[in-house]
Amino acid sequence: MATSTYLSNPALTINAVNLSDQCTSAVITQVNTAQNASTFGSTDSFYVSGTTNNTFECELFMSYAVSETYATLAALVGTQTTITISPTAAGLATPSATAPKFTLTNCYLESLPLINATLGELSSISLSFQGGTLTTAVS
Amino acid sequence: MIKIVSPRVGVPGEVFVPEEGVNIEALIAGGFVVDTSAKKSAKTTTDEPKD
Repeated sequence: MATSTYLSNPALTINAVNLSDQCTSAVITQVNTAQNASTFGSTDSFYVSGTTNNTFECELFMSYAVSETYATLAALVGTQTTITISPTAAGLATPSATAPKFTLTNCYLESLPLINATLGELSSISLSFQGGTLTTAVS
Repeated sequence: MIKIVSPRVGVPGEVFVPEEGVNIEALIAGGFVVDTSAKKSAKTTTDEPKD
């Protein structure tokens, strides 16, 4: 059995707007694109880091009310923005070594589902932010 | 000066200090903050002849 686990309950902001209470899933991934550096003389493959291509994906309940999901996202499509996320709400305000705050600056939102409706279900949308500069704060 | 309107951004009424990369125009468009330094439209004056 694992000696230390984490019950998913992160806090996040999208373009400085705290949407933690609308979010049901969040994944931020650090990606350093692999560049093949293999050469003759070896049958093994070797890679070095190319450009970064960080991503942030999340699922949010959709709401068209004032200061909610749609109001936050409507003007962000096709632009760059900043995402912050931490494993805990406290870490978002005061990052620490055990509650780091990850910031993805100038990441790009390509598309926004305007309506995603299914009979009898709460409407939710999936977002994908691409690129940007990833930094980690622990203090 | 940008001031906070929505508690989702911070404390309403306080000055908003954005992190790098934050899209201010989108926040204003969404009603989360207001730009209090936005210029007001000039008053229109009429050139009426003085008596």
